[in-house]
Amino acid sequence: MGIVLTRLVRAEWAKLFSTRVWIGLLVGACVLSGAFAALFTAFAGNPDSGLPPLDSPEYGQLAFSLATNATVISVVLGIIGITQEYRHRTATPTFLATPQRGRVVIAKLLAYAVAGIGLAVAVCAVTTAVVLVYGNARGDAPDLSGDNLRVLAFAGLALVIYTVIGVGLGALLKNQVGAIVAALVYLFVVEPLLRSIPATSGAYKWLPGGALEAMTATFQGPDLLEQWQGALLLLAYGLVAAFLGTVLAVRRDVV
Amino acid sequence: MRAVDDLSFTVEPGQVTGFLGPNGAGKTTTLRMALGLITPDTGTTTFNGVRYAGLPEPMRQVGAVLETAFHPARSGRDHLRVYCRATGLPVARADEVLDQVGLGPAGRRRAGGYSLGMRQRLGLATALLGDPSVLVLDEPANGLDPEGIQWLRGFLRHLAHDQGRTVLVSSHLLSEVEQTADRVVIVGAGRLVRQGSLAELRAGSTGSVLVRSPQIAALAEQLRSTGTTVDVTDGAPDGLTVTGLSTDEVGRRAFAAGIELHELRSHTSGLEEVYFRLTAGQEQYAARTEQGAA
Repeated sequence: MGIVLTRLVRAEWAKLFSTRVWIGLLVGACVLSGAFAALFTAFAGNPDSGLPPLDSPEYGQLAFSLATNATVISVVLGIIGITQEYRHRTATPTFLATPQRGRVVIAKLLAYAVAGIGLAVAVCAVTTAVVLVYGNARGDAPDLSGDNLRVLAFAGLALVIYTVIGVGLGALLKNQVGAIVAALVYLFVVEPLLRSIPATSGAYKWLPGGALEAMTATFQGPDLLEQWQGALLLLAYGLVAAFLGTVLAVRRDVV
Repeated sequence: MRAVDDLSFTVEPGQVTGFLGPNGAGKTTTLRMALGLITPDTGTTTFNGVRYAGLPEPMRQVGAVLETAFHPARSGRDHLRVYCRATGLPVARADEVLDQVGLGPAGRRRAGGYSLGMRQRLGLATALLGDPSVLVLDEPANGLDPEGIQWLRGFLRHLAHDQGRTVLVSSHLLSEVEQTADRVVIVGAGRLVRQGSLAELRAGSTGSVLVRSPQIAALAEQLRSTGTTVDVTDGAPDGLTVTGLSTDEVGRRAFAAGIELHELRSHTSGLEEVYFRLTAGQEQYAARTEQGAA
């Protein structure tokens, strides 16, 4: 089982790195988080922006939490990882090579969790570099230590979990474009709405976005869970998505 | 609805078996059920006594091509290497099978730019990766040019006759497998219509008798009186096609009834006609996602 799974994980990496999609996603994620870091650093302490000043502890944590802007790319990476098999109809040879379909999905979850770690390291590195270099250029950069370091680490963890959620979501929906659109609409429309509407803002903390915010945001927000609780909740979302995706992929006919 | 119902057959090694039927007869559904991709309501398929999902290294025992679809941005060689890794085969196997199917250097190009014929060859290469003793190919001749079909015929015969592999090839055209297959299994509307060697199929073709007479109305009446099928021959106003009687019998009856005959000869229908007759009217365009029992 261990050897088989190792082989399947390698096969997934061979699929991922034999097309150029990963380069686009990696660059996109780095640019996205780097640009937010630059924007926030530029306007830190500006009274009109409402952002805390560069030398405040709030700014430090906010700046490093900007790495989570790339979670949307993580989700897309995971979605593409599984839906490309259905979109390009390679699910047939894949499941012929490994009739134990559950193993294929588990291998995908593992392979993309590791790929998500790579993405998270790159995104965190770019965010940190922009925050430190640009902050220093403006006079005062936050330290990468204590609470700041913890925020960055949780942001990285969130990026990995979102990749796993993406794989599960892709396995559920199968349709690549549909799954990506659904993820984008959820992340950018549904969650922000639920967060801002008073009647539903209480439930927001139980959603993936609320969990993510609990992990990384430490000042003025809605009612949120503790940092570690948020991490556990997000992990639970990832595991549920992975489990449902595995069960469905095993049961559904491959036509 | 049932796409496949009560269908059983055995495929032997060392032979090419043609799996024939009109479009929508349930060929692809049958193959997908055999390979564990679709779950039938009832029934099983075994390869050397073991179900596909139970084979320890399926690609090393059964090579199957059901779909010639590939990730368009991935090269044929990388596609093969993915499955080498998944099955624990050395990645060098990819280059060996590319040469075997005549793709060679084209293997490094993106599969999205392949012609239909090249896709068929890449599909075949995927099936051959594990050097399996059983090959299951769904419509492998689709999209091949005449030269490609010629090559495929020789290649499949070589795999079966010279190397002793079991080869099952589906097709909706008899002419595609007529020169390759040793045996055929014919399905129509999801059920077994006929199976046997091509020679048996030819022998089983009920020949007909062509007869010309200036008194065809009287002759037809005489022959029909015993339940014989009689049709007016196409393109001959004084001709009849009689099925189920020998030339001797037709001549004897005409003589007994005092009917003048101008021509009397037997007509052996070709294999294509046999196939057409067996599957006529059974074309179904049912949704392919429907499933049934095998």
